[in-house]
Amino acid sequence: MKERLDQQRLNNGMVILGEPMDGVESVSFHFLLPAGNAFFPDGCCGAGKVVADWLFRGAGRRNNRQLTETLDNLGIHRSSAVSGEHLSLGASLEAGNLTAALDLYADILIQPRLEDEQFAPSQQLALHELAGLDDDPRHKVMLLTKEQFYPSPYNRPAEGRAKDLQALTPEQCRQLVRTRFDWSQCIFAVAGKYDFQVVCALLEKRFGPLSGTASRHPPFGSRGNPYTHQPNEGAQVHIGMMTAVPPIGDKRYYDILAGVSVLSGSMSSRLFTEVREKRGLCYAVSARYQTLKNIAGISCYAGTTPEKAQKTFDVTLHEFRRLRQGITEDEMQRAKIGLKSSLIMQSESTQARCAGIAGDFAYLGRVRPLSEIRRQLDVVTIRSVLDFLNTNLFENFTVATIGPKSIQP
Amino acid sequence: MQFKHKQLQNGLTIISEIQPPAQTAAMGFFVRTGSRDENAAVSGVSHFLEHMLFKGTDTLSWQQVNEAFDGLGASFNASTGEENTVYFAAVLAEYLPEVAKLWSQLMRPALRENDFDIEKNVILEEIAMCRDLPQYEILEDARALHFGSHPCANSVLGTEESIKAITVQQMRDYFARRYAPNNLVVACCGNSNFDVFCGHIEQLCGNWPPVQTQRQLSWFEGTRQKKTVRREMLARHHICLISPSVSMQDPRRFAASLLGMVLGDDTGSRYFWSLVDPAIAEAASMQAEAMDGVGAIYSYICCEPAAADKVMDIVGGIFKDIAQNGVSEKELQAAKNKVLSALAIKSERPMGRLMGLGLNWVYRQEYRTLADDIAAIRAVSVRDINQLIAEFSPGDFTCLAMGPAA
Repeated sequence: MKERLDQQRLNNGMVILGEPMDGVESVSFHFLLPAGNAFFPDGCCGAGKVVADWLFRGAGRRNNRQLTETLDNLGIHRSSAVSGEHLSLGASLEAGNLTAALDLYADILIQPRLEDEQFAPSQQLALHELAGLDDDPRHKVMLLTKEQFYPSPYNRPAEGRAKDLQALTPEQCRQLVRTRFDWSQCIFAVAGKYDFQVVCALLEKRFGPLSGTASRHPPFGSRGNPYTHQPNEGAQVHIGMMTAVPPIGDKRYYDILAGVSVLSGSMSSRLFTEVREKRGLCYAVSARYQTLKNIAGISCYAGTTPEKAQKTFDVTLHEFRRLRQGITEDEMQRAKIGLKSSLIMQSESTQARCAGIAGDFAYLGRVRPLSEIRRQLDVVTIRSVLDFLNTNLFENFTVATIGPKSIQP
Repeated sequence: MQFKHKQLQNGLTIISEIQPPAQTAAMGFFVRTGSRDENAAVSGVSHFLEHMLFKGTDTLSWQQVNEAFDGLGASFNASTGEENTVYFAAVLAEYLPEVAKLWSQLMRPALRENDFDIEKNVILEEIAMCRDLPQYEILEDARALHFGSHPCANSVLGTEESIKAITVQQMRDYFARRYAPNNLVVACCGNSNFDVFCGHIEQLCGNWPPVQTQRQLSWFEGTRQKKTVRREMLARHHICLISPSVSMQDPRRFAASLLGMVLGDDTGSRYFWSLVDPAIAEAASMQAEAMDGVGAIYSYICCEPAAADKVMDIVGGIFKDIAQNGVSEKELQAAKNKVLSALAIKSERPMGRLMGLGLNWVYRQEYRTLADDIAAIRAVSVRDINQLIAEFSPGDFTCLAMGPAA
């Protein structure tokens, strides 16, 4: 497979990355800014979500309606996400409209109007969506689990907290945009069909003159409760679990990935086999590796009717801990094939590649070629995974449940 | 891209869109069966049967099936709806023959009683899970309300009672009636060798006997009933509106889907500007669903309980306005641009092409290139859309609302 990475750094420090892809007529791009919830002052939880909406309500010479109409006319499928560490704005579109789209995104990021009268609807929408989580317990239980698992301030939920959201003011949010949109640490990534010189020239012109004060990761604060239960009268008990493992930069990263894949990579993996197929305890059970720059965990979800909740939790926990007792050759083989095959499938998607290269740079300071990831997976052995598991015993879990019945964790 | 097609003597159709440079290939078995082909005694059997196919054959256990898929690094799954059950997988191109052989074997499942009993629990858990997802539940219930006595009213999952009552023999009978080779299409996209692919399918499926299968097609206007269900445990007010629309056999399905976009896309649509942008509702979307001989346009809106009446007034105003003034050239153009770029993004991967390829054949025995679809979308005029509005009166809808007291 041909692999190419385009890379350039502007004088102000902003990084431009690109991965060209053959045979596609589309392109995706991503702006990653160190404006996640952890970087905000106390009392602003959810501000990132409000800002991400407010930015799109008018920029440069376009008012709210004109901006949305222009985005729609370019056929842009937009996405925005706020994590503990980043605010990311993404777009996917037909390659022919890339230059116009980039110019528009530069307006949105550099010259957002941030008008007072557009602030209230952005704030209201964030509050509505937060209230709506009560009707989505499956999603809510994982947010609750992460909020208890991560140390503060990395545990601030992207959806925000009602008290903070209600108290936010337009000026406070404008100030966050002025100070937290740190162009010296902005990462821009593009994947698909594009001309790198044209992209760089445009970004240089629009973003080159901007600067920023180098943002630093705040230190880890306190952690939440090991077990949290929220009662509701739903049909199921929704169980969220999370346990600590090293982050993406750790040398054992690929051992962890392989271990998680044996546990929950697909239908022949341990959790699916033991919890669902053999015992019929639930419909949905899965675990995944989730990383920030300096902290990571394996999160796990299972949903089941109240009388089966304790058993579902017990069997799931047992499977985590039983992993270190041994992994078969076949299991390891399937885990590796699954991981490699999903890599290649991602390489056919502009959105997946663009998010992949931006994430790599943010967390590792460089982009890993797919061939390197494949090589690293090749050298993982049963022994290396077991060695890791024998130093990470999965003794401690943060657990949250939502439903008519609590469990004994 | 090249299209190839072959029909085996027993009626099984094999189609393929070949993209030589792709690294992956995607394939699927499209079975023309779903909840509309069930009767009340076996409500939910199509979906339950879909789960049971993964439980193996006379020579493969469920463990061996799961291990075989995972050993190929396949990204695979299945889905059941009102009128199709689709089994699909994406793999690296070199593994296509293996995954084709595996699916072919699974299409003749053992349907063992002990597997059936265990899987019944999983289905019951899935039903319980959906009861905790009001945004899913309201769609199912609104469909039942809208379609009334028409078979498209049937629930895909079935109910706790119907699932508990189904016997393995009833499932075997249903399987024998519906999974006949002449009721199946095998589709493949990406980097593949058609002759080799057909050879594998023919070897494993060529001796299945054909069975007379049928589906009664009838147009249905919808009941246009209005109903509100009080559910105190909910935090939000959920609304689903359904009105009639064109079928999968109707060339106006492109216009219907653009109408849905103009009125209810998640940015820049009438719903967006009237409901979401001013934060009156946090979600408001509309989508046309063309089906076998029938069609519907669905809206889903979610808001705070106190805003329910206001939302319905605004929605009424939108429908009144389009009935009187139609849609504008400008909004149609924006909708087209969004649909066209979504098509380009979806077509990046063979998996993105597979569903369209298979379903075009299932419904119309037709192959359409990406360029055909692009041309059809570009050709839709404001007049086409306005004629649809005049003919189907989307403002005269079935409505189900669910939420706590305001």
